Amino acid sequence: MNPMTLLLRALRLFGMAGAALAAALTAAPLLAAPSAPVVPITLKDDRGHAVSLPAVPRRIVSLLPSLTETICELGDCAKLVGVDRFSNFPASVQKLPRLGGLDDTSIEALVALKPDVVLLGVSARVIDRLEGLGLKVVALEPRSMTDVQRVLGKVGQILGKEDDARRLWNRIDGHIAQSAATLPPGARGLSVYYEVDAGPYGAGTASFMGEILTRLGARNIIPAELGPFPKLNPEFIVRADPQVIMVGQRNAPGLPQRPGWQAIRAVKNQRLCVWIPAESDVLVRPGPRMSEAAALMARCLRDAANGPVPLPTVPFNAPPGGMR
Amino acid sequence: MHAMSGRTLTQLAALLALGAVLLALGLAIGSMGWSPWTEGGDTMRLILWDIRAPRSIGAWLAGALLALAGAIAQGLFRNPLADPYLLGCSAGASLGVAALLFVMGVSPAAAALALRVGMTGAAFAGAVGAVLLTLVLARGVTQSLRLLLAGVVVGVVLGSGAALFTLMNPDILRAMQAFMLGSTGYVGWSAVQVMAASFALCLLVALGSSRALDALTLGEDTARSLGQRLTLIRLLLIAALSLATGAAVAQCGLIAFVGLVAPHLVRSWGPTTHGALLLLSPLTGGALLLAADIAARWVIAPQELPVGIITALLGGSYLLWLMHRRKAHFGGPGGAR
Amino acid sequence: MNGAARFPAERDATGAAAPVDLGRVPALRIELRSLSLGPREVLRPLALAPAPAAWTAIVGPNGAGKSTLLRAMAGLLPFDGALTLDGKPWSAWPAKERARHVAWLGQNEAASDDLTAYDVAMLGRLPHQPWLAPANAADHAAVEHAMRQTQSWDWRERALGSLSGGERQRVLLARALAVRSGVLLMDEPLAHLDPPHQSDWARLVRERVASGGAVVSVLHELNVALQADTLVVMDEGRIVHQGAPDDPATHDALQRVFHHRLLILRVQGRWVALNA
Repeated sequence: MNPMTLLLRALRLFGMAGAALAAALTAAPLLAAPSAPVVPITLKDDRGHAVSLPAVPRRIVSLLPSLTETICELGDCAKLVGVDRFSNFPASVQKLPRLGGLDDTSIEALVALKPDVVLLGVSARVIDRLEGLGLKVVALEPRSMTDVQRVLGKVGQILGKEDDARRLWNRIDGHIAQSAATLPPGARGLSVYYEVDAGPYGAGTASFMGEILTRLGARNIIPAELGPFPKLNPEFIVRADPQVIMVGQRNAPGLPQRPGWQAIRAVKNQRLCVWIPAESDVLVRPGPRMSEAAALMARCLRDAANGPVPLPTVPFNAPPGGMR
Repeated sequence: MHAMSGRTLTQLAALLALGAVLLALGLAIGSMGWSPWTEGGDTMRLILWDIRAPRSIGAWLAGALLALAGAIAQGLFRNPLADPYLLGCSAGASLGVAALLFVMGVSPAAAALALRVGMTGAAFAGAVGAVLLTLVLARGVTQSLRLLLAGVVVGVVLGSGAALFTLMNPDILRAMQAFMLGSTGYVGWSAVQVMAASFALCLLVALGSSRALDALTLGEDTARSLGQRLTLIRLLLIAALSLATGAAVAQCGLIAFVGLVAPHLVRSWGPTTHGALLLLSPLTGGALLLAADIAARWVIAPQELPVGIITALLGGSYLLWLMHRRKAHFGGPGGAR
Repeated sequence: MNGAARFPAERDATGAAAPVDLGRVPALRIELRSLSLGPREVLRPLALAPAPAAWTAIVGPNGAGKSTLLRAMAGLLPFDGALTLDGKPWSAWPAKERARHVAWLGQNEAASDDLTAYDVAMLGRLPHQPWLAPANAADHAAVEHAMRQTQSWDWRERALGSLSGGERQRVLLARALAVRSGVLLMDEPLAHLDPPHQSDWARLVRERVASGGAVVSVLHELNVALQADTLVVMDEGRIVHQGAPDDPATHDALQRVFHHRLLILRVQGRWVALNA
């Protein structure tokens, strides 16, 4: 064999080896995750920023309990690597590293988890810091029922499960409609006051709880023009004379002793629905457990229509770190 | 009678009349704004008697208590910037309330105890406890500067204690905020009774010590040379100060400025001895707080503004105006000296 | 104010020059072993018993301890020794009773700008007023007398803060006079007073002495002090000499403590000290 032929053969071998290596390298990710699409995901978050993710994220940090629940409801709980201190549902997320709240997030711990995307609320202070550190941040803040539908869709888009998200929403919506439909006629149209906090702060028609009450056919004594959580003059509630009062277990004990409140129908007839902390959790989070929230309120209305509502027997036990 | 007290009597009558007018106004402002008692059914009137009357009277009493405490503090420490909270009362009350709210969720036994003590009890205990701590730190009442410094230290430390409780359990944040900004929303007849009794007692003690306070303006040495028993007077006045502030804060939260501004207002109407000052300041403070409460209820009815914000606005604007007027008086070409 | 008003040839309608009733004038006596302010020993062993119906002036260089001695005599400073009033220890007297016998006017006294001059002067009657009792006719008369004596009656309704330094000082002086105590202790009472008012002050001291009272004053103004009945010369916490202003030994003592930088002369029947 002459040297020229040897050289050409070596080159061809070399080239083929190189091509094979290149093919192997490019094929490796495809082989490793056969179900993940390679197309980048672009969406607009609730700040109006356009965020672009190169692929479906595999490591997710969530700093809002409703977003945590949404991710888990869509079946991707395993992708969560870190949550905030208030995320407590489902039970599996309680074992994940806690990264603080929206105002005091431990940035170092978060960055050390190397997330592909960070989901949090719009009002978080850390957003700029995280983006400055090169992390992908999607800010979503569900506050009303329409918000929940939209946020479900966006999270579904991020996880590549848009169809699942749509089906989930329809399920939730259906459950709520069912709760409303199965209410006996006596439980419909009751006037309700939902106290969110001592102050008194009430949940108005424009709030999330108010929307559920409206769908259940109840009448909120707080009109929509006062906003979602107005701080009221206690006299207003006395004058409105609600038939049912919904209040958290923390604020329930002193309520009947407030001056003038003993004359309110709900107090006189013991139609006070007192939520234990686990129930309050469900009611204040606009998230995938909305149907549970509707079911809780429907139970309260049904009980109220039948007679005095029994108070919870378990004593008040606030979860450490508070509820959100 | 000396001509001076004639002027005091006129001012007294005017302030009482103002209080009566404001009280009538307070009874006419409800959750829907202007709603006088001439309209509406009997049952509704009765209910509103349970709410509007004690609330208005309670606001007046709270303002009177704070103004009395402020006048005592300014006389005792010979400092026109003294206010009722300077011995750590406000921080102590905040800590008491924060501790109570925090403890309520810890265990059922703690919750039962917390319910019995109540927010008012906790605030009162905190206010009085803070003053006692200040007295201990200052090792008695003999040195004013030491008392003031100890009060600052206690205020800062207890205040951060309250903040710590809030941080550990952020649920109580809104309740704490409502307390810190002040609210007369839940003042009922029992609260009115407590405040009225405290006011009567503190006013008696203060008026009894008014001559000693006058003597104290000449300096401690001269006051002692005039036969005044300063240690006893100081103890009594500090006790009255804590009782008055504690009672007001326990029922209505931390209301700013009333205690500071009311004595200044009275002094701006002409030279006054402490006897007149300690009588007219509460009447002024009561009117001030009641007016602020009416505004808080009326402006965005049925929503409510925190009354402490309105007193800060009113009080702050008055102090600004006073500064402006004083500047022209002493600094300008028409200065007296 | 013209000269005629300042030195009335006659007694005026309120009897401003008539002797006042001081009651019984007690004997004040101090026997001091030591007085320390902080780490420093300010007063060394001394004894002083101002005579009744006499004016005693305490003089000496800066830092001699004059004001400290006067405050100790007023019972305002604790010290190692004994302070007695009519033989009874100071602490054995009820506070108000001894306040009726011993009045004090401090140096640079603070005063609230908000009180009227009359109210400030009325504070001098506190030792005589039962708790919470309003001022009676005797109180009003004493205050008026005192304010006329110090020529501060005309602005009695004005707030103290609107008065000049000299006017304020005369109101504070009236306050001390209104007590009508047997013993009157005054620390640097001539601050802010111009020469005519300094002479007025000397005159009212004479009137008080004529009524039987004991007046003790700490003075920087040697020319005024040399008009007193007794001079107490102090230096470095000790009483160096006690004697009449006519006494040559007193002049010697003054020269010694002021390092012979004084010239003590007799001018127009009065002793005068000039800077040498």
